[in-house]
Amino acid sequence: MATNDPIVKKDFAEALQSVPKPVLYLVLFLFAGLPLFFPVKLPNKPIDASIDCFAQLMSLPEGSKVLIASDWTNSTRGESMGQMEALLRILMRKKIKFVVYTVADPQAPEVARFTIRKVAAEEAKAGGYGYKPFQDYLVLGYYPNAEGTTTAINNKFLSICEGKKDYPEDSPPMDVLRSPVLQGVKSVADFKDLVLVTASSTNTVVIERVTKVPLIFMVTGVMVPENTTYYASGQLKGLCGGVKGVYDLETLMEYGLNVDGPHKITSDKYSEVIPGFPGKQNEGKGTAYYPSLHFALFLLIIAVVAGNVGMILAKRRAG
Amino acid sequence: MIDIAAQLVPKTMWNAPNNSTELWTRIVLALLVGIALFVGLLNAPIQLRKPIIFTVTFVSGLFYVLFWLYPAPINRQPSDGPRNTFEALSFWISDSQGVIADLTNIIASFLIGLGIYSLMRVHIGKIKKQQRDWEFSVVLVSSMVLMVIFGYVDFYMRLQPGNSKMAGSGYVGWTFWQFGKDLLFNGLLQNMDAGMFSIVAFYILSAAYRAFRARSIEATILLLTALVVMLSLMGLVEFYWAQGVDAMHLSNNFKLDNIARWLRGNFQTPAIRGIDFGVGIGLLAMGLRLWLNLDKTGSDA
Repeated sequence: MATNDPIVKKDFAEALQSVPKPVLYLVLFLFAGLPLFFPVKLPNKPIDASIDCFAQLMSLPEGSKVLIASDWTNSTRGESMGQMEALLRILMRKKIKFVVYTVADPQAPEVARFTIRKVAAEEAKAGGYGYKPFQDYLVLGYYPNAEGTTTAINNKFLSICEGKKDYPEDSPPMDVLRSPVLQGVKSVADFKDLVLVTASSTNTVVIERVTKVPLIFMVTGVMVPENTTYYASGQLKGLCGGVKGVYDLETLMEYGLNVDGPHKITSDKYSEVIPGFPGKQNEGKGTAYYPSLHFALFLLIIAVVAGNVGMILAKRRAG
Repeated sequence: MIDIAAQLVPKTMWNAPNNSTELWTRIVLALLVGIALFVGLLNAPIQLRKPIIFTVTFVSGLFYVLFWLYPAPINRQPSDGPRNTFEALSFWISDSQGVIADLTNIIASFLIGLGIYSLMRVHIGKIKKQQRDWEFSVVLVSSMVLMVIFGYVDFYMRLQPGNSKMAGSGYVGWTFWQFGKDLLFNGLLQNMDAGMFSIVAFYILSAAYRAFRARSIEATILLLTALVVMLSLMGLVEFYWAQGVDAMHLSNNFKLDNIARWLRGNFQTPAIRGIDFGVGIGLLAMGLRLWLNLDKTGSDA
């Protein structure tokens, strides 16, 4: 039924406070989506936590071994896959063998295998050493009980390998204890680092239970504040957080640390020169997604400021 | 022949040489004890259920309490053996932890199986009775069945000699089953997973716009702090801010990254540490209540 109610026109203050949701969503979609199609390279100053992460990984001697806890799936691939790819590029270029396990999600081992195969193929294509499953890396699979398994890793690492099989090339699955990757490994202390790539609460499970090996965490953006406490206390040797962390790592891989040049990156903590991998494929998901994060944050700030300006104007008008 | 208990160094009470009579005897005994326990639990009188749960909880908790608090062997070598009862217990706890971890993994796997059974029971029942939104249940059940079929066939094919190349990313040697599994897992499930999570960004923006208002002094401080931290994550803003600070010959402390670092180091981290400390004490209290069966609920209260 038609009514004769006059249409109330919103004033500026009210309009600022009541932007319709669809408009906000559309603007965010454009702000976050367009940079993916029109890539821009933004200036970046890596933070200390990322620099520590890079320095710790680059200090690994060639041929050493690293344990990776891959506790992420594609729900956070924007951050976690970028972190995993950057980590794998560094490890593969330094010819470091690694063992991957999962305690967070049954999908995670398959996603980790996919990422490892992808990076290994890229590196081989670029003339690097082509990593082979079972010979150069192992994927132990999924362990449903995070707490018990992580305690066992610290107490007696090989106990979690018993009965596990992995797939060598052109051969049926074999007992992982026969893999060259585990030769000489008796304890978790035989790994140089435990790198946790996670999007779930396995960070606390690891930090509470693993004491015999240096820890590096690669976490999603929302997990950074919590994990900064462990980084600040020295429990973590490095922390790579969110898309910004990935972009930091990729920037450091390209330009190195304390390396002279137009893009010289310095740190108060490190005086030595740590060269990166100039000329190689260092750009990944961090470089691709950082502009999206950048402009989405910009929009968030604009939205919050607009809402507050509207509120202040409305308050003034009301006296 | 499958190498069960292939890792025998050090030899413990939990393992035995591969394919030995001792190993098979232990396996058969463990199976018999397991079946006896299963049947016993199924036929246990109702009044005994609570004491059984309490006993299992207490013994399980006691093992990990001892594991963390009882002195552990230091720098133990494979040839080392206990010299007295005190050390024997220490060795036993250390050797048993891996087995207990395996046991908890098996129990957790059963829980996953129980979850799948429960999900299927509810949704198949819904489809049979054609209850409200039963069409969604058809999608769920068929997705699960298809994923299981394609997943297992693909897994089985990869196990066959000469098929390991199927694991590569170049579609080498792929058949209908590999393409099917790839479509279901990488093509659909993983992308839907990522799609669901990305929706959060839209809610965050909408919620921040409507709720993040400077209505009090505390809210204003929070707002300004958040703005500084967000600005410090924006490379372009940080770069030009730093240029401005340098141009005005101000102290480096005024650079965005340094302000953000100061905020993180002096406010955010101590606050989170305090919260974590409180949560930790709460968890300890809750753990003790569960372990010692002090939690009284329902008719026990």
